[in-house]
Amino acid sequence: MSELYRDSGVVLRTYKLREADRIVVLLTAANGKVRAVAKGVRKTRSKFGARLEPMSHVRVLLVRGRELDIVSQAESVEPLSPMLSSLDRASQGLAVLEAAEQLSLEREPNPDLYRMVVGAMRAIAERPAPLTVAGFYWKLLASEGMRPELDMCVRCGGTEPEVAFVAFDLGEGGVLCRSCRSGHPMSAEALEAVRDILGGRLAKALAMEESAVTHEVSLLATHALEYHVERRMRTVAMFE
Amino acid sequence: MVSAYTPPVQTLIDELGRLPGIGPKSAQRIAFHLLKLPSADVARLAHAINDAKDKVRFCERCFNVAEGALCPICADDRRDATVVCVVEESRDIVALERTGEFRGRYHVLLGAMNPLEGIGPEQLKIRELLTRIDAEGITEVILCTNPNTEGEVTAMYLARQLQPLGLTVTRIASGLPVGGDLEYADELTLGRALEGRRPVDDG
Repeated sequence: MSELYRDSGVVLRTYKLREADRIVVLLTAANGKVRAVAKGVRKTRSKFGARLEPMSHVRVLLVRGRELDIVSQAESVEPLSPMLSSLDRASQGLAVLEAAEQLSLEREPNPDLYRMVVGAMRAIAERPAPLTVAGFYWKLLASEGMRPELDMCVRCGGTEPEVAFVAFDLGEGGVLCRSCRSGHPMSAEALEAVRDILGGRLAKALAMEESAVTHEVSLLATHALEYHVERRMRTVAMFE
Repeated sequence: MVSAYTPPVQTLIDELGRLPGIGPKSAQRIAFHLLKLPSADVARLAHAINDAKDKVRFCERCFNVAEGALCPICADDRRDATVVCVVEESRDIVALERTGEFRGRYHVLLGAMNPLEGIGPEQLKIRELLTRIDAEGITEVILCTNPNTEGEVTAMYLARQLQPLGLTVTRIASGLPVGGDLEYADELTLGRALEGRRPVDDG
């Protein structure tokens, strides 16, 4: 019954439980989303309480339980302090966690998602670029099988340079030319940025300075993700 | 399932079971203890609950629990009105008062920002804090939210709102508990303790 296992994971969120305990929701590498009780972590003298805050990346030793597992040990893989060093980093980190929580399933391993969350967290800790969260959202959609069509009008099949793409339709899942346009209008620069993100040129997109284009790409990414998970992304709205 | 208890007892157990940290078994134990007590004791308890609920409200100024319009701390003229300590809950005031180190006033936010739970600035008493700054001539705000992710986010958000007003905004230090062992400290706390080190002056 008391089966011990090791895994590493990112803490997605925590709930208070009883007097001094916490339920932590972890996105693990090998076990998907895991909910576990961390005992006594709200006491000042707790040995690993500080490592189980949202956004922490930890290696954990867990005891399998019926409903909830129990955290037996936890050690940091990466320090949490850079994430809490500025409001931009913290809000971006939370926006990533919110999306990851929506798209992960309990006990359903999703190593790609785990890798992407860890990667996004690292990128944010290093430099919170204007397009980090948008980049994560677009890549997340692509890996969930919702990769948008960016090179062909989703209605008439027209391609560049014969037609120019001027809009993005969430329901159709791709770009549209001038004569078929519906959904959100999309500038050529924004389309280029999304192509960079999904075409293996993420570094180029992350190097962009904050501008109307990064704003457009971020907004579209949030809308696309919200359309897919059918829920509002609350963190993004809160810090705008 | 038909209840084995007479309805009044069952109602009592159900009500007690809704209290935080009390499960059905504890509720049952407390209910039967109450039934065994003399009526005067039970009446006293019932009165205490009613009395507290009727008389206690939030302080108009700082949102601490209070009996009148102002809490005892806000009503005390001897306290320094220029320094305000921002805390998440009234309970935190009790902890800070125990230190005996702080002579200013407080401001209770009634929570911390938690975007994942949908608790944003509007759900907290942040606007009320901002209106206090000018009205009371506050020159320093000490951010005493909990040193966890929600508390840190709240503190950073508040700092961003307060700094343009041209006052001193400070964050409580975090470090090692007195009487603790260095070797058992977690790296985050120890790192912060190092970061916040200060020169030793042998006064």
